[in-house]
This record gives sequence, structure tokens and C-alpha cells, in this order.
Amino acid sequence: MKKTLSLSLLLSSLLYSDSELSEIKERLQQQDIKIQALEKVAQERSSVNQSASFSQNAYLPDMALILNMSAVSRDVKNSEYETYSIPGFIQTGDAAIPFNKERGFNLNYAEFAIRSSVDPYFEVFANFHLHPNEFEIGEAFVQTRALPYALFLKAGKFKSSFGRINSKHQHSWNFDMQPVIYEALFGPDAISDPGVQLQYLFPTDTYIMAGVEAMQGSNERSFGDTEENNLYIGYLKSSVDITDEFSFLGGLSIAHGKNTTANTTDVYGADITLRQQLDSYSSLVLQAEYLDRNKDLGDTTDKQAGLYAELVYKVNKNYSAGVRYDAITKNETNLSPDIDCDNLQRYGAMLEYKPFEFSRLRLQYSYDQTKIINGERRDINEVILSLNIAAGAHGAHSY
Amino acid sequence: MKSFLLIMLLASLGFASVKVEATYASLGAIAKKVGGDLVSVHVLASSQYDPHFIVPKPSLLSKLRRADLLIINGGGLELGWLPPLMRSANNGKIQVGAEGFLDISHFVAMIDKPNSVSRAFGDIHAEGNPHYILDPYNVLIIAKAVAQKLSQLDSQNMQTYKKNLANFTREWHIYLKDLDKNMLTCKDKKVIQYHELFNYFLKRYGIKSYATIEPLPGISPSSKHTLKLINLMREQKIDMILQDVYHEKKTAHFIASKTDAKVKIIPHDVGAAKGSETLEDFYNMIAQRICH
Ligand SMILES: [Zn+2]
Repeated sequence: MKKTLSLSLLLSSLLYSDSELSEIKERLQQQDIKIQALEKVAQERSSVNQSASFSQNAYLPDMALILNMSAVSRDVKNSEYETYSIPGFIQTGDAAIPFNKERGFNLNYAEFAIRSSVDPYFEVFANFHLHPNEFEIGEAFVQTRALPYALFLKAGKFKSSFGRINSKHQHSWNFDMQPVIYEALFGPDAISDPGVQLQYLFPTDTYIMAGVEAMQGSNERSFGDTEENNLYIGYLKSSVDITDEFSFLGGLSIAHGKNTTANTTDVYGADITLRQQLDSYSSLVLQAEYLDRNKDLGDTTDKQAGLYAELVYKVNKNYSAGVRYDAITKNETNLSPDIDCDNLQRYGAMLEYKPFEFSRLRLQYSYDQTKIINGERRDINEVILSLNIAAGAHGAHSY
Repeated sequence: MKSFLLIMLLASLGFASVKVEATYASLGAIAKKVGGDLVSVHVLASSQYDPHFIVPKPSLLSKLRRADLLIINGGGLELGWLPPLMRSANNGKIQVGAEGFLDISHFVAMIDKPNSVSRAFGDIHAEGNPHYILDPYNVLIIAKAVAQKLSQLDSQNMQTYKKNLANFTREWHIYLKDLDKNMLTCKDKKVIQYHELFNYFLKRYGIKSYATIEPLPGISPSSKHTLKLINLMREQKIDMILQDVYHEKKTAHFIASKTDAKVKIIPHDVGAAKGSETLEDFYNMIAQRICH
């Protein structure tokens, strides 16, 4: 623009006399002023509010759709598989199997997750699990944003922060199958109930967090007496960075509640997570948990325990591989002695491919020695190919 | 007795330092310049790592829990790791909207704003390119924003922050003059880069970036895309590949071997490469590696 102007000025100076030239100059200046005025008007117009009256689009919460589906191959018929029991824990017919139940194809769930700040003081989160024939409020809670003294309060229906994996949603587990001890003690939803949670973060250089929860205790595997809120949970977690790349996270938890016989159940948990970061996209993570339950049934007390340990190697942005070992380590119950309860364990391995952050294909194999089918122990071979999709405004996962 | 108490009170006020957490090292370095002895600055993300993917280690929670001020880059750069940390830090002072929360992207003119946004285009930055720290002129804007915020949080020391800012601004203008002069010889260079990390620097100094090694933001290189790059570089006579410190370097070296281009490791943040530990060294290193 400037160049052509000066060029035309130069040309015109060759063609026109001085008086004509000054006239042209003046006209150009006037033009400049007009242009500036026009630009100003345009600018003012663009800063004027042009949104639709009463529109609240800007306040829409973050919303995400999570789809989880699988193809399953298993050397047990579907009709037999759904009757499985785990001796001492789950009786025949009581196994709830919401994920990867059928041989062939499964649509495990479509999950609709919403998160939003409510006001300066509260934030709200909810996820709705839509199973093929069922609607379920997975979680729906409100939490504080600005409580003093490093306190944090949550109320509603939520997954307890007991242990390590309990609070995590199925799609954020490292394996599609739930650890056996969690399934045995709590079932697929783990400890998830209406209640309140209070957490405190210590003002130390090292991460130390303590939390207490009061919950309804509707989980019938271990608790289930819901005459009043009967479940109390407490935990202490700490994490240390041993080097910049190597960190340790450990926790101790206790859940104290009343079971369906109106007697007490205590579950103790210990967990550790060791993480070696290899680069931005590569890491080696070892995660293990041990759970121990005393379930008072009046005249007898079930004393049971189990653990799982998993090692996951994240190769790069796209690939991960992992192995997991599950075991029931203690199973002192009044089961009839002719049921063999030794060596209840499971071995698993997985290979994962993520074309992108929000889509994941996972191939898993497990050899399961924890189940009883038709009254006798049955070793189960299972291969699952699962696809998980997270679309929309899906928040980052915590550590 | 009264005077003793007063002295104690004054002393405690004098030593009171504002605890600042910055998400990235460059922001921390600027905060230190403006805050001086009145602030203690800690940086959450190591500059060795991809700034989009920082591991939200629990140890970071203890830092955030005690912070008086959290300075973030914004523009979506921390979206993948910071929100869950902020939620669990139990610190109302630094939540979005609170006084101790400072999003620098609200002060900077962002470039490369996409016309349409969809994840089908990869992990694009919906609010524009957030890697604005690569423009050394933005340091002045950031310093000013931090000084304003510190003056607001710690109004007693407003004069000191003002003075620090004035000093730093003066120094930085002198530094920029030097840098600009050095960069004069580099105009019209042609480069490709791994991710659009260096656009602000390139734009500032008239260097043209033709393509990225990643086919789409956040997507790993494909052989098809890499071949296209090689052809493009031969056609356009592009002889430089700007490689960051955290992505794989195999693809860049492969392209270099086919085109005779040079691979230059460019720090994306203060301290990302050895010898880039101060703000000046950081920009000097970028200038030096692109120009020579
Ligand atoms: Zn980016």
C-alpha cells in the first residue's frame, strides 16, 4: 500500500506541476483521515456485544462421551460363565459381570461425563453409565474449590479413595479386567456409595494426605447393612520423589462397616506405586495392592486376603505392554472342606496401541484359576480385544 | 516491649516471601527477575519433557498446596496435566478466578489461531499457538503482568516490584537490541520443525517454517508424510530442521540424510538444552543455533 502510494506520488510529481502536486497531497491526507475514521468505526463495532441475548453457551460444562467395547474369546460357554463363583467370596449366581461378559462382541458401556464449576466455591462432576439395558449414575458429586486450611470436601455419590485403584474408572485401568481381590471383596463398582469425603493435605515438603469418608455402605459383598450410614473409611497416602525420574507413592487404608448380618467388617489395604519416567512418553510403572478382610458373621469370622501386582511399560506415545498377577492369599472361611481353595490366582498380559491420546485398542490375555463353575474348579483362558474412545471435553486423568 | 513486638512484626513482614509456583521454567525465571528476594519461585514442569505432557506427580501437590501465586502459560498448554493437580492441591488461593492465579496467555497476542477446531485435525491448540515464550519480546509483557500481580498480592512491596520491573525492562531492551542485530543476518532462512513450537521466534525474525515433522499436532510421524517432507525440502531448498529436545530424533536425522539439511536441537524453554539456563542464554542459544 505504502509502496504503491509513494510510487504513484513519484510518478505524479513527474507529470504534474507543483501546485497540482500539493493539491493531490492534500487530498491524500484527507483520504487518510477518512480511512482512519472508518477503521475506528469498524473496531468499535467488533468490540460491541454481538452475542444472542440471554445466550448461556459460554457456561456449558465440559462434556465427554466414553465408549467401551470389546471382542471376547473364552473357553467357557456364556451360560456357564455367568454362574461362576469365587470360593469364599462370590456365590454361584451372585457374580455381577457388567464388562466383557459375552463371548463375541460386547458394548460394555457408553459413559456420559460432565464437569463444571458451579460458582467460586463448588465444582460438580457426574458420570452416567449407560449399559445396553440399564442406566446408572456412576458418580455424581459436588466438591469444594476453596476451603481453608488445605481441606477438601466432597459430597454425593462417588468412588471412595480407599486404596489405589478403587477411585479409578474402568476405562482408566491399565487392564480391562478388575483385580480379583477387588472383584471378590467389592464387585465391579468397588466401594462406590452416597456419602461425604474430607481430605487434608499436610503442609510438608513431602506429599502426605489424610482422608476420611462416611458412606452408606450399600456394597453387599463386604458391607450391605444400610439401616443407617454404616461405612467409615480412612486413609493416609504419601509420595516421595527419590530422583527427578523415580517416584514412590504409597497408601494405607481402612474401611470399617456393617455387613448384612449386622456385624462388623473391616478391610485393610496397603498399596504402592513405583514409577520410573524414561522420557516424555515412556515409563515403567509397578503398582501393587494388598487387601485384607475380617468379616464377622456372628458365630464365625471370615479372614481373607489377596493382592495384585502389575507392571506396565509404556514404550512410547503409541504402545504399552504390561503383565499382572492376581492371588487370593488367605481364605479362612467355613466353606465345606470338599471345595478346593488352594492356589486361587490369575495371570494376565496386555498389549496396547493408542493411535492418539483419546482412542485405545488393547489386546489382553488372562489365565484365570480363581473360578468355580458347575461345582468344580475351572481354569479359564480368555482373550479380550477392547476399544475405548473418549470424545469431547474429557478432563486429564490424575496420577 | 511494645517496640520489641513492633520490630518482630516488621521483621516477619520483611522476610515474608511470596511463594510462587510457575508451570514452566521460563515463566519462573521471569518471576524471579521481577520478584527478586521478595519471592521464592519453584517450577512445576521439568524443561526436559514435552510441555504438553507433564506427569502429574503427587509431589507437585505439596508445592501447589503452599503456593501464594500460581503462574501458568495458558492457551491450553497445561490442559493435559494441571487441572487434576489444581483440584487436589486443596489451595483456594490459586484456583482459576482467585487472586493468586495468573494466566499469562491473557496478556499475550496469540498467533496461529485455527479457523475451525476439531480433534480430527489432531491435538491442535484451539486458542492459538501457546508457545509464545519463544518470542523474546513477550518477556517484557510477561514481566509486566507478573509485576502487576505481585504488587496486587503483596502491596506493601509494590515500589520494589515496580523498581525491579523498570530495571529488568531496561536491561531486556538492551539485550533485545543486541539479539535483533545478531538475527539480522538470519532473515529469509527456510526451516521445518517437529511441532509448531518455534513459530513465535521464527515470525519475529522473518524465518519461514514450511512444515512440521508430525503430520498433525500430537500425531507421530508417518512414512508417507516424511517422504512428502523430503520432496518439499528438495523443491524449496530448505536446509534446516528444528528439532526439540523431547521428541524422537530418528525422523529428523533420516530426513537430513536424504536432503543434506542440518538438524538443530533448539531448546523450547529455559534449561531445556545444556547452556540455556538463563533467559539470555536461552534466546542466545536459539539464535546461535538457527543462524550458524
Ligand atoms: Zn504445542
